[in-house]
Formats: sequence, structure tokens, C-alpha cells
Amino acid sequence: MTPVEQIVFLLKAVPVTLAISFLSFLLGLGLGVSLAFMRIYGIAPLRYFSDSYEKFFRSVPVLAVMLLLYFGLGPLLPIFKDPFFTSVISLGIVSGANQSQIFRSAISSVGRTQMLAAISIGLTQLKALRYVIFPQALFLAVPGLGSEIALLIKDSAYSFIIGVIELMKHTDILRASQRSLILPYISSAIIYVVMTFPVANYLDKWGSRKKRELGL
Amino acid sequence: MTSILECRELMKAYGKVIAVNNVSLGIGRGETKVIFGPSGSGKSTLLRCLGLLEKPTKGSVYFNGVDVYVSKQDLNKLRARIGFVFQEPSLFRHLTALGNIMLGLKHVSGLSDAEARRKAYEALKLVRMEDWVNYYPAQLSGGQQQRVGIARAISMDPEVVLFDEPTAALDVELKWEVISVMKDLADRGTTMLVATHELRFAKEVADEMIFMDQGQVLEVGSPDHFFTSPNTERARKFMAKILG
Repeated sequence: MTPVEQIVFLLKAVPVTLAISFLSFLLGLGLGVSLAFMRIYGIAPLRYFSDSYEKFFRSVPVLAVMLLLYFGLGPLLPIFKDPFFTSVISLGIVSGANQSQIFRSAISSVGRTQMLAAISIGLTQLKALRYVIFPQALFLAVPGLGSEIALLIKDSAYSFIIGVIELMKHTDILRASQRSLILPYISSAIIYVVMTFPVANYLDKWGSRKKRELGL
Repeated sequence: MTSILECRELMKAYGKVIAVNNVSLGIGRGETKVIFGPSGSGKSTLLRCLGLLEKPTKGSVYFNGVDVYVSKQDLNKLRARIGFVFQEPSLFRHLTALGNIMLGLKHVSGLSDAEARRKAYEALKLVRMEDWVNYYPAQLSGGQQQRVGIARAISMDPEVVLFDEPTAALDVELKWEVISVMKDLADRGTTMLVATHELRFAKEVADEMIFMDQGQVLEVGSPDHFFTSPNTERARKFMAKILG
């Protein structure tokens, strides 16, 4: 393979890497927002659950979760025999803990007066969370979410261990078929940088600008 | 006069600290009452209890003669009928001036987008902020933000509006922007209970003044009474200090 052909071969795997990252980010977003609200506004058992979830999954390597689901639960629940699905779930579960921390800090920064002001005009607590607290927390969370997306794109590489044909798997195929060990890994690293850096950088700048403009 | 909003023997404690102790007062339709007293005297806590933003530790709050907590009425619906203006500008920072007012009209009063927009604009016009409808709170001065806060409170057509020292965080020039809007509201017959140190405002518009110290109401009387011959030594000293 010529170097150009090698790069084209690597790029063919990018959509799978991005699909895993995007879907696990969405799962993590749903989990993270719910856990953060539970932790701040929930009753005692929900607060305890959220706190434990966050502490546990922030301490466990994503690879351990992935292997546990694939090899541990796979034989019991056929759905976990699907490597793509298991990758998304594993990354999403761990990302949920990270995103919970991002949103918890963002919601706390919105401040209690905003909630009081929302309730004072007759909004229910749920509507206050939806229309007043969450939109502001989202602006505050954006830079952190940018870093989380970058982390998920990188961590999606673990999926190759359970058999997902994504960028790291293509890199490995190339490594096995070529004499040079270095070129496939360097090319692959550059592709990861191109995927992660602009997203994280753009969201960081956008979030900081919005924060400044709105006085958050 | 029957009170729209009233508290009886209201007490609010935070742990061992008693912020408001055994306060009874009421406000009737069209009245303007001013609560004043030193910082930490319990004015804000009392207003928050009356605005149903905090539950009293003891005592009752009556709205149109009904005990709010005994009757188990929907507090959210009642809060919409009691306007509240906070000490610190408390506009929703992600929404424009217009958006701040439309939010309650749409999601509490259930108005359509067009109707909420029309009513929000009218409220902003009333506080002389109609030229700033599309500005975000961060783009407005403190006085302008407070005026939008007043517009937000009155847009819901509340039966009474509670003001918690709305000018305390403003410099002298901006204070008068807000006070002049509040005077307009009083002239229009809005029922108002105002915690403030602005005694000139109180003298001009208050039907009654209430002096609080250490969580208790020490003295109640007309502005003339307080400006000429307050009964208690504490009120006399406080008036002298404020009026210089």
C-alpha cells in the first residue's frame, strides 16, 4: 500500500469511531444531566444514588466496564454480544459520571437566586429547571462537554479490543500488513488529533464567549 | 379593610437563629406599606415568607383570607398572584428583557406567544424600558435590570407586589430610576409592600410604615408619625441615622 492508500484505509474507519463517540456522548448526556439534577434537587435516596454512581464510574477504567459487559454479561444477555452496542453503552455509562460532574458544577454556578426568581413568578420547580436553570447550566457546561467529547473520541479506541472495526482496528490491520510500525500509528494519531482538537477548542471558545456575553 | 396578604404570629428560624419573631401584619387592596429597619432586622425573611418563597417555622400566612398552608392551596398558582422584586437583580441571564417577561406569561399564565409578547411589551413600557426589549441582562445597567424585574413581577397581574430592598445594590443615580417607577405604580393603585431604606420614597407614597428590629415589629405608624415623633428610642435613632 502506498502512504496515500494507507491513509484512505484509515479514514474509512473514521465514521465508526465518530458514531461510537457521538452515541455514547448522547447516552452520557442524558445520564449526566439526570444525575446532576438528582444530586442537587433530588430527595435523599436519589442524591445518594447519584453520588455513588459518579464516584464509582469515575474511578473504574472504561476498558474494565467494556470487558465486563462484553465477556461477563454477553453470555447472559445476547445484546451485549454486539461489540458496537457494548462499546457505546460502556463509554456512555462512564461518560455519564463525568458529565454529571460537569453539570453539577454548572448548575451550582447558576445560583439559588435564579431558582427563587423562577419560582416567584409561579413556575413549578420542574419548569424552573427546564426553562431557567438548565439552559444557563448548558452554556456553563459547554467547555467541559467539549473536553468530554474529545475524551470519548480517544476512548472509543478501546472498542477495538472487543472487536469493533473502528480506527484503532484499521491501524492494527495496517500495522500487521506493513513493515513499518511507525507510519500507521503516526497517521492514526494525526487523525485522532484532527477529530478531537478542533471540537474541544471550538466549544471551549464558544462557551467562554457566551459566558462572558451573558454575564454567567 | 380586608387584607389581601396577611401574616399572623409569623416566626422563621434557621437552626437556632430566629430571623423573624412573632410578626403579624397585613396589606389591603391599593395600599402601599413600607417596612424599614437596620440590616439583619428580618425584613427580607419576612417578605420571602409572605411571598411564599420560604415556609414559616410557626404562624400563618393568609392570602385573601385563606390560610395558605392549612388550606393546602397550590403554592405555584398563589405565587403567580404575588409579585416579588428581589434585592439583587435576578433576571434570567440567558433571556432578553422581553424573554424574561414572556416566560411566566407563557408557562404560568398559558398565553400564546403573540399574546405574551404583546403583554410583555406593555409591561416594559410601563417601566420605561420599551427601547431595551431585545437586550440581555448583562447589557443593562443595575437600575434597568431592576426595572425589568419590576415589569416581570407586574406582568403577571399580581394582586400585591413585594419589593425586597430593590435599590439597595444600586448607586444614587440608578436608585431614582427605580424609585420613580415604584412611585408610578403606587400612583396607579398597585398594592405594594416595600422593604427599603429610602425614607423619602416612604414619606411620599406610604400609607403606613413598619419599623423592624431584631426580627420583630417595634413600631407601626404613618410616615408623618415616624418623621415627627417615633415612640421608640430605637426607631428615633434609626430615623436620625438614615436622614443624617
